[in-house]
Amino acid sequence: MTKVFVSAVIDAPIERVWAKVRDFNNLPKWHPKFSRSHIEDGLPSDRIGCIRNFDIAGGGGTIRERLLTLSDIDHTFTYCILTSPLPVAGYVATLKLYPVTVGNQTLGVWTAEFDVTSGKEADVVDAVGNGTFGKAFEVLNERLARPEGAI
Amino acid sequence: MAKVYRSAVIDASADRVWALVRDFNALPKWHPAIAESAIEGGLPSDQVGCIRRFTLRSDGGLLREQLLALSDLDRTCTYNILISPMPVANYVATLRFTPITAGDKTFAEWWAEFDVTSGPEQATTSDIGDNVFVVGFASINKLVSGK
Repeated sequence: MTKVFVSAVIDAPIERVWAKVRDFNNLPKWHPKFSRSHIEDGLPSDRIGCIRNFDIAGGGGTIRERLLTLSDIDHTFTYCILTSPLPVAGYVATLKLYPVTVGNQTLGVWTAEFDVTSGKEADVVDAVGNGTFGKAFEVLNERLARPEGAI
Repeated sequence: MAKVYRSAVIDASADRVWALVRDFNALPKWHPAIAESAIEGGLPSDQVGCIRRFTLRSDGGLLREQLLALSDLDRTCTYNILISPMPVANYVATLRFTPITAGDKTFAEWWAEFDVTSGPEQATTSDIGDNVFVVGFASINKLVSGK
């Protein structure tokens, strides 16, 4: 079992960050690594058990993930991979936001556990940790950060 | 039941921060409001159940607090107040330090739940949150980051 842990400060209040990431169908709208998404069977994207069906940008294949938990009170959701081109099995990931009260910023923590089924474990860990999670926090910070000097 | 939660970014690795704050007897080393501290009964300061007895720099006020949980794995410390000059009862607090992998910093959290036994609740909660917790974070940051 491999674990990935990535965390970063986003220079925006937690409500703004949560509003951006809460929609389970919204990933390709803000993460450049992904494109096109829909929730299968026309379910609402905050219905526990719903499945998002989305593509890796540039023809990288389709991923299907099931929403396992969603909490507006703890600003967190957990999901698992059902099918994907990645060589992983038993993949469960959680995104959780924490308020940084000093400065009114947000800490994003994204964790995953999974087995690597083929290829180099380090490459898969890098793709998930840096390519997906780390990139997500960079992009969120770029999009949501307050301009220098703004209050 | 009143709740207080404060959090801040500390500009040093979580291991460095934890090395400083893990010692339940070390408050005077990193919190500017605390004058002297001792563990009662000569117990080790990482023995769960030990009691720290310390005084405030401002007026010599005495506090006794008991270590309820300590985790090197999660970098958390939970304690309660046995005696203090503050108008609180059933006070339980937790400190937690989480690594920030982007930049090798630390996310510090400190929260408490308690009943306010006299005076306006808001005054006590903001006193604890701002003058104890946030002041503590700023002091830790200064000590470990050198800034």
